Amino acid sequence: MNYTLQFGQVTDHLPYLMAGALVSLQIAFLAFCGGMVIGLLGATIRSFGPRWLVRIVDIYVSFFANTPQLVQIYFIFFALPDAGILLSPFSAVVLGMTLNAGAYLTQIQKAGFDSIRREELEAAQTMGFSLAQQVRYVILPHIMKVLFPPLSNQYILMTLGSSMAAVFGVEELTGRAMTINAMTFRSIEIFSITAGLYVVVTFAATLILALVGRYMFRAKMRIV
Amino acid sequence: MWERIVEEAPAFFTYWNLIFLLKALGATFLLSAAGCLFGFGVGFALAVLRRTRGLGLIWARWLAILFTETFRRIPFLVTLLLTFFVFQALAIDLTLFTIAVISVCLIATAFIAEIVRGGIESVHQNQWDAAEAMNFSYWQTLRLVIIPQAWKVIIPPAFSFFVLFIKDTALASQIGVVELTYAGKVMNNKGFSAALVFGTILILYFALSYPLARFGFWMEKKLAPPRNR
Repeated sequence: MNYTLQFGQVTDHLPYLMAGALVSLQIAFLAFCGGMVIGLLGATIRSFGPRWLVRIVDIYVSFFANTPQLVQIYFIFFALPDAGILLSPFSAVVLGMTLNAGAYLTQIQKAGFDSIRREELEAAQTMGFSLAQQVRYVILPHIMKVLFPPLSNQYILMTLGSSMAAVFGVEELTGRAMTINAMTFRSIEIFSITAGLYVVVTFAATLILALVGRYMFRAKMRIV
Repeated sequence: MWERIVEEAPAFFTYWNLIFLLKALGATFLLSAAGCLFGFGVGFALAVLRRTRGLGLIWARWLAILFTETFRRIPFLVTLLLTFFVFQALAIDLTLFTIAVISVCLIATAFIAEIVRGGIESVHQNQWDAAEAMNFSYWQTLRLVIIPQAWKVIIPPAFSFFVLFIKDTALASQIGVVELTYAGKVMNNKGFSAALVFGTILILYFALSYPLARFGFWMEKKLAPPRNR
């Protein structure tokens, strides 16, 4: 074994990597917000929409949940230019992740909707609650408690999933690791530190989300 | 765009191209299947280990926790590259496919360990106590009492994870493993339109994943344990 570990060259680039971690979180956040909108729309249609629209949403969810996010982004990034739509790498990645997340978040939010029991709504109606009051005091607290853990998990998974943005040249955490690797060739050191940064970032995110869930929505989440 | 697709389709869907794509599809399936099967075995061992109480195993238990928590929080792409470069540095001559399988094993082990742990913990504490009262050893308790009840909770999410990972193995194309995504890149580089190539690849992935996902749903309904215990 001729390889000797030299972390010095890599730790010099630590601030650069940490800034990349912020970009990863940014990508995940943007895609998550977009996915939430799509998910809410999809779940609403599935719960209350006409049959033909439900069918369309089902097809969307099935297709995007059963194909790789990487190939979806390949399609968006390389195929759409033929149709005249030219996206930057960052936009293509966020769009691809949004569509992919939209499918999963549709299913998650549908489950949240299904968790409302009819008795709760009937009790609220009996007490003379208006529709807005029912939503505000009965439906939302219940749904948020049920949905917060899976939504948190989805966000963490999307943060990890944003690493494939590196494939398209986006300078997030993994992308920057690849850049530094090309400069220094200290491959093991760079990717070890990158892996460590992912662990730290996602663990911190898990902790924060668990605390938020506990005190805002009374949702219990296990950390380890 | 459509004219180009229609024009290129006959040249794209030739016998040899289809053979190439189908072999790549097989490699994708094999990658996930091999990794997840191995991961299930080791993950099961780790989950059982975490449940032990002996002082002698305390370090092993902590290592198991550390492994699980670490590899669940590293993206597959980073694990893949790390594995690739480590074996390169060690000068061990492995095929790219083997390196990819090892990466899948590492990730799969961590996730399936959590799934199995969830299954084991879904069995009520009363069952453990009752077995202990009847003087069962730890391993007897596990084999005769806990596992028969837990496996119904373990199998559906483990299978779902396997289906999920078929899609994640698309990233193995980044180190040159000839699976479905890499095959798509090869075809695209030959000059076929990206829409035709990646559209076909997406459909092939769907054709592979969707039936398995449906089977997973079916299995989940079949095995669903009674909700009241």
